[in-house]
Amino acid sequence: MKRVDVIVIGGGPAGLAAAIAAKREGARVLLIEREARLGGILKQCIHDGFGVVRFGEQLTGPEYAQRFITEFDNENIEALTLTFVSKIEKTEDEFRLSAVNREGVVRLAGKSLVLATGCRERTAKQVFIHGTRPAGVFTAGAAQNYINILGQMPTKKCVILGSGDIGLIMARRLTLEGAQVLGVYEAKPTPSGLSRNIYQCLDDYDIPLHLSKSVTRVFGRDRLNAVEICSVDDEMRPIQGTEEIIDCDALILSVGLIPENELAESLGVKMDPLTKGPVCDKNMMTSVEGVFTCGNALHVNDLVDYVSESGEYAGRNAAKYTHAERNEISINAGSGLLYLVPQRLDLNASDLKAILYFRSRKVLGKCALVANVDGKEVFRKRYSFLRPPEMERLECDFGPLGLTNHSRVVFEIEEAPQ
Amino acid sequence: MSNYKRICKKIAQLSPDIEVTEERGCIVLRGEVDDWATAVKAGQAAVDKKKYLGVINDIKTKGFIPRPHLPEMQDSSLDGLSPDVLIVGGGITGCSIARELSRYKLSTLLVEKGSDVAVGASGANGGVVHVGINFSKNSQKHYYNIRGNRMYAALSKQLDVPFEQKGQVMLCCKPWERIPVWLLQQNAKLLGIPGVRYLKRKQLEQHEPHLPDFVIGGMYMPIGGITNPYEMTVALAENAVHNGVTLSLNTAVLSMQTSDGHITSVKTNRGTLYPKLVINAAGVYADRIAEMAGDRTFTIHPRRGTDIITDKKAGYMVKTSMGKSPFSILPYQSANKPKGIIARVRFFINTLTSSSHTKGVGLIHSVHGNMLIGPNAVETPDREDTETRREEVESIIKMQQHLADDLKFSDIIAYFTGVRAATYEEDFVVRKGVFTDNILQAAGIQSPGVTAAPAIAVDICKWAVEYLGKENPVQNNNEFDPERHTPPRLAQMDDDERDALIRKNPDYGIIVCRCEEVSRGEIIDALNSPVCVPTIDGIKRRLRPGMGRCQGGFCGPLVTQIIAEHHRIPASAVKKSSAGSVITYGETKGAAQ
Amino acid sequence: MKEMKELTCIICPNGCTLTVTGDGDNIRVSGSKCVRGEKFAVAEVTNPMRTICSTVRTAYKDAPVLPVRVSAEIPKEKIFDVIRELNKIIITEPVACGGTVIENVLGLGVDIIATSDILKFKEM
Repeated sequence: MKRVDVIVIGGGPAGLAAAIAAKREGARVLLIEREARLGGILKQCIHDGFGVVRFGEQLTGPEYAQRFITEFDNENIEALTLTFVSKIEKTEDEFRLSAVNREGVVRLAGKSLVLATGCRERTAKQVFIHGTRPAGVFTAGAAQNYINILGQMPTKKCVILGSGDIGLIMARRLTLEGAQVLGVYEAKPTPSGLSRNIYQCLDDYDIPLHLSKSVTRVFGRDRLNAVEICSVDDEMRPIQGTEEIIDCDALILSVGLIPENELAESLGVKMDPLTKGPVCDKNMMTSVEGVFTCGNALHVNDLVDYVSESGEYAGRNAAKYTHAERNEISINAGSGLLYLVPQRLDLNASDLKAILYFRSRKVLGKCALVANVDGKEVFRKRYSFLRPPEMERLECDFGPLGLTNHSRVVFEIEEAPQ
Repeated sequence: MSNYKRICKKIAQLSPDIEVTEERGCIVLRGEVDDWATAVKAGQAAVDKKKYLGVINDIKTKGFIPRPHLPEMQDSSLDGLSPDVLIVGGGITGCSIARELSRYKLSTLLVEKGSDVAVGASGANGGVVHVGINFSKNSQKHYYNIRGNRMYAALSKQLDVPFEQKGQVMLCCKPWERIPVWLLQQNAKLLGIPGVRYLKRKQLEQHEPHLPDFVIGGMYMPIGGITNPYEMTVALAENAVHNGVTLSLNTAVLSMQTSDGHITSVKTNRGTLYPKLVINAAGVYADRIAEMAGDRTFTIHPRRGTDIITDKKAGYMVKTSMGKSPFSILPYQSANKPKGIIARVRFFINTLTSSSHTKGVGLIHSVHGNMLIGPNAVETPDREDTETRREEVESIIKMQQHLADDLKFSDIIAYFTGVRAATYEEDFVVRKGVFTDNILQAAGIQSPGVTAAPAIAVDICKWAVEYLGKENPVQNNNEFDPERHTPPRLAQMDDDERDALIRKNPDYGIIVCRCEEVSRGEIIDALNSPVCVPTIDGIKRRLRPGMGRCQGGFCGPLVTQIIAEHHRIPASAVKKSSAGSVITYGETKGAAQ
Repeated sequence: MKEMKELTCIICPNGCTLTVTGDGDNIRVSGSKCVRGEKFAVAEVTNPMRTICSTVRTAYKDAPVLPVRVSAEIPKEKIFDVIRELNKIIITEPVACGGTVIENVLGLGVDIIATSDILKFKEM
């Protein structure tokens, strides 16, 4: 049984950053990655726009990943690739893993774990698309894999459902590869992706964006040959009588990402229904002692720069982890927030500085993020606008607030008076 | 009034455009009506099991032209063959029959028009191994269900297919329901169904820990079980092929030549065959095949049903298969319950005596740990109407949420529709040929087809051997191996076993489907199996990649690549299922030109 | 010609909405939070430039395509011309991340460079 200090599960941007940070703290680190190469989803994100915050450059996904892979190699950290973790057990003082790879079943043990397992895509059935079951329905990530890894063209004429970033990026990618993208349809009244992606992926190529519309049915016995589009109401329910049929050969779905936390749940890690990821404290530790979370497994990020940052925090703290009494209070997200992380604050920690990530529930003009402790305002930050697709980052210091374990901390968003 | 006149009167009330005649012992309906529902009602009105062999309903519906889905390919790979037995249909019935026949030294050929076995109803049902409590004593459904049920445990073990027999539960909400339960119990004794008893809530909870609050008890039927119907079909097919049966997929029977009540030749899209005996197991097209053979005494009226699959995390909500009893009225329905003693008694008698085909089971615990919900039942003229519909899925969920309070729409990971091959008599048609001597019918197999198939196969096989033995005695196949040796499923093994296998074959250590933990080695094993179906759906049916949380999002491109490499074909030649189900159009930088 | 154009700046994640009015020497930009944004807005109405990323085919069976990008911005109107040039390439020798695949593509003064190490250690 191989024993190390920190085991990082996942070799994408979060896991790489975590492993490097843990190694730099002097820990013995092992990284486990289920694909053959490191880099995670960045391997297929061949477009640029990554690293503006961290490196001040516009890098492509593989280039961004390569920066970390080079550092990872320079630090001489051990990685097991094409290795899949099938079981984790927590004992008194360590975590025991069973992993599977070409050598056989590998047994590993570590004092702390960093779960950097990323996320998966929401499927057609989860957004209740009905009709037949032809070939030609792809999630955007799968279509991206076919094009950018396998070099195969999944469509000649398609409709994209969902204006999240990956749908927008694929609209451009498909167009550059010679496909006709008939339109991007979004069930919400506002787009889900970054505004600059609407501009450079749709506007640049005259691809129309239709809001408050969704795909309800697909047609075609063997291969898709048409989709049915419907206008939808505020609850995203189809409005009868607004159906239109569009001839195409593929439906590309970009309808949301779901953090992957099967391993976390098997360890009993408590989950936040708002983020669909684990509840964590400012050190990225979950409700289970010694289990740390970061990246898209914690909550769906829009900038990989922040994924790396959260990975660094998780890795550093996983390396420094020792068992200690915690005295936690909740950091609550008010109704104006879609979510915030971290959700817990350990008052026994050496300091109470935290990096808060949050998203607004609505598109807002002038507004403010307000922190209340026991009903009294303690902090206010003004924003000229907030949009759900654009995750916000805020450095906070809870130290001076004199919090006790009875304190009730709530972050709320206040719209500016008209 | 004679039966015939009575039927004519009923049908005249439905439509003046229907002609009713009596021919060859059957009642025949012809004409054209405006909508399918009328045609179905006419067929149902014409049923008289005592007087007629069956209903031949050839009424056409205005504006609807049936279009069977036929395979694209045409060749002469089977041309001129003269097998002893030709089985038409690769569903669970056809494959069960094939396996039974492989116990004998016979040349047996099974043809299936789809791209795999179990692509019809056999692959689109809940997998329940039924108790059969509400079948009539004289029905074939009862006869074959109870025998099939008894065979399932042993058969599943031989074929290495998962099977659980945790029972079936019918839920009751009010004390008076013990009366109809007692009646059903007596009926069960008459039918020979063992162990049926009423359990109070506390005892019932041992079998079903998550009962809704309003349940006070229920009828517990221990012989109810659950299988994986397409896995069972694949297993039967593989074992049949292993024992000498030839299987030809993408092969459709197009027409037959008969002479003096004897089938002389069978034309397919892959050549003309000259079988000694034909076995009709053609599912929703069984009446067409019977017609070609000159032996039709029944008509299939397709009835589709949709099932919903939930995430394994919701699987705890049901441990057996349970539904509310047909006569109990759940709290949410109480506003509509019949008022007055007479109305209530009439309602309850109706539910007891009406056929059960419109009542779905409710909640089913699948062998893989998911919860299955459904099915519903909707008449449809389209025999291959496997579309799902939003309103139907929503109404199924809403109805069953009363039985599973925690059930949320977000628990749903998939839904599918299958089409039942129902006759108007609502019973199986398992018999020797009536007008044609060299045909055996295994038709009209709707629920409980999955349960009944092994028992139906025994009878069909007996009659086949009898018929073929008339010329020369049929010899046993001494090499018959009843066991199917499945390739290993590593995710279910303990670490040491798994480790040993990987050391022998490193491909077993490369996980391709991470939702269901399926390795590259297992996928290659499936591609090397006796019934190799090198498509995305073929692999999905056998090993589950594509059935998990990500529904193939991650593994799709990987499985495509593995199939392409294994078969030495370009990635764009790998299909989802049928020849037309193209996944990719070719290489990038070439497709646009 | 006094046209008002609204556009989203793509320079950094802020994605500011910029409004451009005027033409020729008399272009005014409002809404930008930085100089780069202003420069971007002016370019958008005079000579819009873009970076593009795509893949090129390789002769390596287990790495059928190699991701590439332009080494610097190209005129937006030349995007599909550059793509057509890329599509003619088949890589037959190992190339590392940053390596040149096409030098001075279409005489635009930019190269096509590889963005991944996927071929770095390959043998043919």
